[in-house]
Amino acid sequence: MTILACAALLIGIFLYVFYPQSKTEEQTQKTRLEFLRERKDAIYENLRDLNFEYRAGKYPEEDYLAQRAGMENEAAQILAEIEFLEAGTHAA
Amino acid sequence: MARWLGDNRQGRTGAMAAFGSFAILLGLVLCAYNFLVGAIALRQIAVHPQASFGPERLAESARRAGIGSFIALSAAAFALIYCAFTNDFSVSYILHHSNRALPWPYKFAALWSGQEGSLLLWAWLLAAYGFVLRVRHKVDVKLTAYASTILAAVQVFFTLLIVFPAPPFALTQGAVPADGFGLNPLLQYPEMVIHPPMLYLGYVGFSVPFAFALGALMMRYPGEKWIHITRRWTMVTWLFLTCGIFLGMHWAYAVLGWGGYWGWDPVENASLMPWLTGTAFLHSVMMQEKRGMMKSWNVWLIFTTFMLSILGTLLTRSGLVSSVHAFAESSIGTWFWVFLLIVLSVCLFTYILQRDHLQSEHKLESLISRESSFLFNNLVLLAACFTVLWGTLFPIISEYVEGSKVTVGPPFYNRVAVPIGIFLLFLTGIGPILAWRSTSFKSVQRNFLWPCIAGVVAALVLMAAGMRPWQDMGTLYSLMTFSLAALVVTAVGSEFWRGARVIQRHTGKNMLFSLVQLTRRNTRRYGGHLVHIGVVIVFVGLAGSAFNQSNEQEMGFHDSMTIGQYRLVCQSYTQDSNANYDSEYELLNVYKNGKFLAQMAPERRFYHASQQTETMVANHSTLERDLYVVYEGRNQDTNQPIIKVILNPLVAWIWIGVAVMAFGTLLALVPNMSAEQAARPRKPAEEEVPLPAGVGD
Repeated sequence: MTILACAALLIGIFLYVFYPQSKTEEQTQKTRLEFLRERKDAIYENLRDLNFEYRAGKYPEEDYLAQRAGMENEAAQILAEIEFLEAGTHAA
Repeated sequence: MARWLGDNRQGRTGAMAAFGSFAILLGLVLCAYNFLVGAIALRQIAVHPQASFGPERLAESARRAGIGSFIALSAAAFALIYCAFTNDFSVSYILHHSNRALPWPYKFAALWSGQEGSLLLWAWLLAAYGFVLRVRHKVDVKLTAYASTILAAVQVFFTLLIVFPAPPFALTQGAVPADGFGLNPLLQYPEMVIHPPMLYLGYVGFSVPFAFALGALMMRYPGEKWIHITRRWTMVTWLFLTCGIFLGMHWAYAVLGWGGYWGWDPVENASLMPWLTGTAFLHSVMMQEKRGMMKSWNVWLIFTTFMLSILGTLLTRSGLVSSVHAFAESSIGTWFWVFLLIVLSVCLFTYILQRDHLQSEHKLESLISRESSFLFNNLVLLAACFTVLWGTLFPIISEYVEGSKVTVGPPFYNRVAVPIGIFLLFLTGIGPILAWRSTSFKSVQRNFLWPCIAGVVAALVLMAAGMRPWQDMGTLYSLMTFSLAALVVTAVGSEFWRGARVIQRHTGKNMLFSLVQLTRRNTRRYGGHLVHIGVVIVFVGLAGSAFNQSNEQEMGFHDSMTIGQYRLVCQSYTQDSNANYDSEYELLNVYKNGKFLAQMAPERRFYHASQQTETMVANHSTLERDLYVVYEGRNQDTNQPIIKVILNPLVAWIWIGVAVMAFGTLLALVPNMSAEQAARPRKPAEEEVPLPAGVGD
């Protein structure tokens, strides 16, 4: 009985591990473009937070405007690089 | 339950043990395959990124082997539990940790009550975490492949432990006794059925963010998505560790009978250290997500947290330090030291090789900003961790240097940890109300006014009510805690209030609806605030210890004792017996301000199988204070029971605070309300633009 149980466990797992797969998931390296898109989303989220906190009355207007300008600059730089990379991709 | 499963009295011995041993060996082979073949496949893919189908098929078989290791180790864990329920004393582990009269929940708990079983539990939990990680590999196939391979290496180590130095299915030498030696009486308490698994889930769980962090560093993963992927893992793990630690505190409070819940015992410290660094990590990763800062710091925080989890296990099991919580001492310390050294070397090597990948995208712009509050929070948590580590290792260091073990006691820890804790409480209050990047003086004025007023008013009210902070340090610290608690609650409350008012203006609904909406739109942020409220409640409970009172005396028939507002009168004292233990207990009528309150029965048990005694504390707990009564034994001369009574103010708030922390963490794990739901206008006539989901993080 013990031998049967051990054999069943062994064969079951062996079949599961080595059963030929018709399709496997591709391991792709994330590109700079994907990274920049993630970063852009993070900055947009930060901007949404800032707007919300400003509307909640947490920050005086001058603080809000200064912070917003900083974030918008950062977003602009990233968008410019995204556009540049996308243009390169399309050209290729 | 045992009857249902059958009994091994007639000698059907060894079959399940053989199956269990085979399952463990199979688990080891599968983990090793996952690690070796996974590493080869990753190497091939890295060297030939455009290569064919081959390495990916190898990687897939490695992933499946990892899943298979979970099935194999599940079979082994099942086999050990089966042996416990069927009283298979041919298995040495069952002989030493169970007996026939043991109630069935404790037979289940026998799995983690000794060295071999708890290591099997550890290996199984690791495989279970790995199972979830490998099944969810589509979230990022390549990163998960790295994490899975690293996790498999950790699995190999723990499975090796249960194959060589601590095999759980080792057979009993010589004739098999008719009954087992029983479970340690200290472990025969309901919480011990859930406390160790919770703690292990916490310890083991940090392996996953560790594996992702190391994998991301090895493959120079661009961006912070690995943090998004591991965020839930880290929070779940942190929740388990938090619950495990507090369940342990409650167990110590209810079982050990010394009236306290935290004794700075080495094993308690071992669980606290990864909790402190894990908490620091949970805060500092936000800086990486939001601002791309502190990347090296975060990587090292999670490396350290994982290594501290291993160190904690080493301390618990090696017998290096003595502890009331150490139930599984042995000589496997060398294995852990070697493993720790390998982990540290791999982490250091990878970091040195890839450190240019961890450049910060921004610098700290101002000392008065949310970033700097997180940085302070991290520094303070690490200072606390270092203090605890130093105190825990001091006996080992002193023995090595001077030849004699010098133990560091609670006064050392309290002197350092209490001010650190109070400063952390302060940071809990100010962090959320500071702005990212920098906060102007005007903004500080606007956001700090009400919290500061609340703190000062609380201090004045308490002094007017009779607290005298100049009399002793305990009272001063308590007053500071209560005052800061008021400050933090006001600060966090104002965050909810302000946010809900924006929603209210937008939707036209009532405040309660707005609060719920606000929380659902950003569960992580507002769940986090609730966790902070829970922390405040825990601190209030801890601060009550400055006002403890105690009394101890012989209490024969109709004798009485007065403590605070309470009077205890002995009604009777007697003995009882059952199959598992003999007991002595005293019945006490308790009166508060002259009115009958309750009857309490403190007890002392003598367990037959293990020949050990155990205290069963009687505790009458209210929000105001606990009346904690211990049966200390009998006076040898008079044969009368000795009763110890302790009044512990506010202890119940500690457990309430933990429940709030757990609720807040669970809330933070819930996904935010979808953008569509959030953007759906409730009031069509509203002029304002609908708020997007995720506001306010």
